[in-house]
Amino acid sequence: MLPNSETLPVEGEQDQQGRNWNEVHTRLVRYLRARGARNDIAEDIAQETLTRLITISRSQAIGSLFALGFRIADNLLIDQHRDESRHAGAPEEDWLSDAPSPDRVLDSRRAVDVFHRCLRRMPPLRREVLIRRRMRQESHRAIGEALSLSTKAVEKHITRGLIDLRRAMEKAGIDLAGWD
Amino acid sequence: MRGDRTEIEGEAARWVERMSRAAQDSETAAEFDRWIAGDPRHVESYARLAAIWQSPDLYQALREVSAPSRPRNDNDDPRRHGEDGDKPRARAERSAHFAPFGLALRPRLLVPLAASLLGLALLVPLALGLLAPETHYATPRGQDRSVLLTDGTRIRLSGGTRLSVRLTPWSRTVIMERGEAFFDVAHERIRRFSVDTGSASVTVLGTAFDIDLLAGNGREIRVYRGLVSVAADNGEWRLPAGTRLIVAGGQAHSFHDVRESRPDWIDGWYDAQDTPLARLIEHINRTTAQPIQLSDPSLGELRITGRFRTGKPREMLDTLAAIHGLQWQEADGHYSLSR
Repeated sequence: MLPNSETLPVEGEQDQQGRNWNEVHTRLVRYLRARGARNDIAEDIAQETLTRLITISRSQAIGSLFALGFRIADNLLIDQHRDESRHAGAPEEDWLSDAPSPDRVLDSRRAVDVFHRCLRRMPPLRREVLIRRRMRQESHRAIGEALSLSTKAVEKHITRGLIDLRRAMEKAGIDLAGWD
Repeated sequence: MRGDRTEIEGEAARWVERMSRAAQDSETAAEFDRWIAGDPRHVESYARLAAIWQSPDLYQALREVSAPSRPRNDNDDPRRHGEDGDKPRARAERSAHFAPFGLALRPRLLVPLAASLLGLALLVPLALGLLAPETHYATPRGQDRSVLLTDGTRIRLSGGTRLSVRLTPWSRTVIMERGEAFFDVAHERIRRFSVDTGSASVTVLGTAFDIDLLAGNGREIRVYRGLVSVAADNGEWRLPAGTRLIVAGGQAHSFHDVRESRPDWIDGWYDAQDTPLARLIEHINRTTAQPIQLSDPSLGELRITGRFRTGKPREMLDTLAAIHGLQWQEADGHYSLSR
């Protein structure tokens, strides 16, 4: 799991494109911590992610280094959760499935309730936009056409809705990330 | 610091929203990287909001608020499904999506093909039909083709597709052997249009639909307009626009998730939603001259989510390799993907 140390950049080193890998590493750790990874796990996954990013960057142009880095880190984190639930003797199930492991059920059900209440309280149009975007995976254009909204307005509804949801979780004292 | 925090949160929410889209241009990508690098609090706020956006709990809550509170008869007055204050349009839309995701087909939908239509088919003198010329169409891998039939029907063949068409004064018949095709059928009141795929046949008067012949005799049908009848060994179904039906191995599942006016593959995209890798590759291989092969068949069960550009196998392989820790190489006229 640990990358070959020879392939990793030294402190503060920048590559030809002026990328500061050290900084990428720091941000990755912070990202993973905020997504609920324990310190040691965040470090491990950040290292592995960085190694993959460096390998990819040698052979092709990367649009957003962080966007790709976060995706890789997300996947590794999910693998990690799977491994842990297996070690803990929990039934094998997908971390993202509708049936979370028993110890998570309580928090998860509470989170669903908080989301549910928040969604019911928000303006119907905003709720409809969220349903179409997050649940039905409709494009911004399709949502705009169906609800007679501009793409900008669709964006705004999603952004505001997201903040509403975040505030509701905070108020209820639930930290989605704090799963382990 | 409160104002500061609100501002960061607003920016983070905008970024979560923007990055949740299928593709970002290079300018947006660079801007995102600058924003993340700019302040350590940015990544934290982004991570927390992304966790909410991607949370299965949010998905569950959305399902609950979008569906009627109790299981009801689908024929109920749709106005009773919505909550107070809903826009009428939203309500109507919602009632049309009563089975939002992956539910098994409800018995109510298992409407048998109208007996009268069957009767009509039986009356057609087969011998005369056989005299009409049969036209064959085929596409190599990596090449689409659009065909306009004399009745005004348009067929779009994806790469690696083979089918034949026979038009008679009283029938329009397609026999589809492999691949995937999108049919935009010219409406005629009497002359039905049917597609026979071996393990399932699709019959319409005039509509737009897509048929995808999957490995192992599976069939996937998406209806974009009108109404389609599907007959397979294990039953007959009537599918309204917006429906997707998968018939495979004696089972049928319907999904109400067709929202575009034509399939993604025509525009050069493939949307994977928890799709097995084998299936994704089957699709991509139709659009590329050089096929992708899995070094280990069990890899095919890997679940993939994401939007992929078709016809760009290297790009897809790079992404898959990066995200799932796989490797790929090019050899003897194909790409090989391995762990």
